[in-house]
Amino acid sequence: MTQLSFLPDFPPAASPLALFGLLLLAGVIGGEFVRRVLRLPRIVGYVLVGLALGASGLNWLDGALLREAWIFVDIALGLILFELGRRLDFAWLRREPWLAATAVLESALSFAFVFVALLYFGVEPLYAAIAASIAIATAPAVVLVAAQEIGAEGQVTERALNLTAMNSVLAFVTSTMLLAWLHHEYQASVATVVLHPVYLLAGSALLGYVASVAAMTLARWLGRTERGHLVVSLGLIAVTVAAARLFELSVVLALLAFGTLSKNLDRRHDLLPVDIGWIGQLFVVVLFVVSGASLNAAELATGGTLAIVYVLARFAGKSLGVMSLTYLSGVRRGAAGLLCLALTPMSGTAVGMVHRTGQLYPDFGAKLAAIVLSAVLILELVGPIAVQFALRRAGEAAENK
Amino acid sequence: MSPAETEFKRSAPFTLGVELELQILNSRDYNLARDAADLIELLGKMEHPGAVRPEITESMIEINTSIQSTHYALVRELRAIRDAVALAAQRLNVRVAGGGSHPFHQWGDRRIYPTERFQHILDLYGYLAKQFTIFGQHVHIGCPGGDEAVYLTHLLARYAPHFIALSASSPFQQGEDTSYQSSRLNTVSAFPLSGQMPFVRSWSEFIEYFDKMRGYGIVESMKDFYWDIRPRPEYGTVEIRVFDTPLTVDRAAALAAYAQALARHLLKDRPRPPSREVYLLYNHNRFQACRYGLGGKLIDADTGRQVSLKDDVLETIALLEPHAAELGAGLALKELESGAREGASDADWLRRAFRERGTLGDVARLQSDLWVGLTRPVA
Repeated sequence: MTQLSFLPDFPPAASPLALFGLLLLAGVIGGEFVRRVLRLPRIVGYVLVGLALGASGLNWLDGALLREAWIFVDIALGLILFELGRRLDFAWLRREPWLAATAVLESALSFAFVFVALLYFGVEPLYAAIAASIAIATAPAVVLVAAQEIGAEGQVTERALNLTAMNSVLAFVTSTMLLAWLHHEYQASVATVVLHPVYLLAGSALLGYVASVAAMTLARWLGRTERGHLVVSLGLIAVTVAAARLFELSVVLALLAFGTLSKNLDRRHDLLPVDIGWIGQLFVVVLFVVSGASLNAAELATGGTLAIVYVLARFAGKSLGVMSLTYLSGVRRGAAGLLCLALTPMSGTAVGMVHRTGQLYPDFGAKLAAIVLSAVLILELVGPIAVQFALRRAGEAAENK
Repeated sequence: MSPAETEFKRSAPFTLGVELELQILNSRDYNLARDAADLIELLGKMEHPGAVRPEITESMIEINTSIQSTHYALVRELRAIRDAVALAAQRLNVRVAGGGSHPFHQWGDRRIYPTERFQHILDLYGYLAKQFTIFGQHVHIGCPGGDEAVYLTHLLARYAPHFIALSASSPFQQGEDTSYQSSRLNTVSAFPLSGQMPFVRSWSEFIEYFDKMRGYGIVESMKDFYWDIRPRPEYGTVEIRVFDTPLTVDRAAALAAYAQALARHLLKDRPRPPSREVYLLYNHNRFQACRYGLGGKLIDADTGRQVSLKDDVLETIALLEPHAAELGAGLALKELESGAREGASDADWLRRAFRERGTLGDVARLQSDLWVGLTRPVA
């Protein structure tokens, strides 16, 4: 023992707390810079900071640190998916069935267009199909956060969010089913092929259901206190994310189910609407910095051309799906085109799906990653701009925001 | 000013028209939404009686009935419009509610409905334009001529506290209990052209006054006067504007029937000449009605005595019985009478909803349930 043993070790070990703080600060500075100088959404700044710090740039945020930061990403995703789920209103879908029909059609068409386009460019059917299934999902985080940043409210905003929730579920279901096909290709047993998708879908939904019942029960017991209900919601979101990871279930599906069931099963209105607002904001910044850092711009070189094909085919499919049914739904003229734009973002959840495939079948995952992650890279930057442009043009942004 | 604009368009006496300003709420936390334009466009594609119009902010719409002569026809039309609006609102996942104020919206969040006239009001009145996101019922009573309209306007002034107390449904504003039964009228009072018609004796005197104000550039049309009760020459009516939008269309129709029977009494029986005394006491009596509703105390300009507002309303309803019978409004007045006897008001209903449920979000939700008939008026 030396006389100076009270001094800390050098170099200091990375602490998750410091990491959180630094990512937050870096993100906020980048976001504000992009907003002031380039007049673009802050999210673009967060992602650019991530790209600069990650493998595409300085490589300070390497794999090990990113794994440390993953917990914050999980919390952010949990908050966002819960919030999105709360907006998915089954009663509305019953009264406005064309909205649900739009979700199914735009999902199917974006899948079909991407699949055919990739086939045309010589991608093998199975790769093309899995890549196409990932294309179905719009990024919940980007749409929700971009909308909240400008205080957007109205039909285009609400419909974009509901379509996002629905296409996220459809994307998950489709990709899970395709994974089963992949299992089969890789000579997995029939039991795996059948049971894995069932486990993922039913397990995630059940987890969300249990969380929503717990939320309503606790809320009733606590009484009408908004703060209490906020804390209950936050606690259950964290537990549900952790449980989904623990049981190898889908975080996206479980949290969407939690949110939407806590809204739609709550006939007595026990759980008060909670405003996750600024708490969510903290984690969201870190979420986008990390998702920027986990992308590699070098992948554009290998996946570049196909990624552009992918992005365009996806946009065409979604647009055709949305445009062909808006006439029948209750939305005003001119809103359909804006709705298409608002559905462009892709991000975190797509990355998650690629990783999921990669974990099971590394070789396959790498091929998929080149196409999909390059597309995500493009849309992480273009997506928020498209969403905010669409919502502003729709006249749904708050004043002075 | 062209003579056509000040010419009083004669209309069949005691015909009725009702305008109701309604709240549009989101289905998430029941705060005010901004979907007026979508709602109006969707209703444009649907078959429904009456008319639906935009109001000053994107969180409001106004529904108008056509010209009616009986309470029965009026209530039927109001219900039909309400149902059409409710159907359209359902497709947009928004809710519609009555009530004179939204319990917890913040006026700073409001956005002006994009028309030239509303933009002009914002430019002129600043924040007052956004605070004007309050919800009233206007009742038009047909008049045979301008002089009759002036007389009726003066005589109805004495009864403004009745209209206020019977319709009061704005106890909450900006997330607070205001302690008023109708807090909405305090917002109206902030406008420089609010108040009462000046004490003119005839339609020609009224035109003289109007031309003078127009000459100064203070007003352009009758719409610029935000008076509690005003003649509307272009419709041939007297318009009563002090009602809060009640929580149900049935109550709105009953209130209109009360105004109709009262107008019939005043124009047929000519009980007294217009009196300056009424205006001397006007603001005091109006305040009592806003603050305490039927529990307020009036000073009667004729006798100079203090009377309870509730008793005064009950006496008036009794007095109007033959007129109500003639107009087919007997049932409506009975309904108002039994409510007044119990001292019940929509404001009390809202306060009770808050006590029972605990949050103003619940109040707004129940308010919109009640509007479409999902909850019962008396809890």
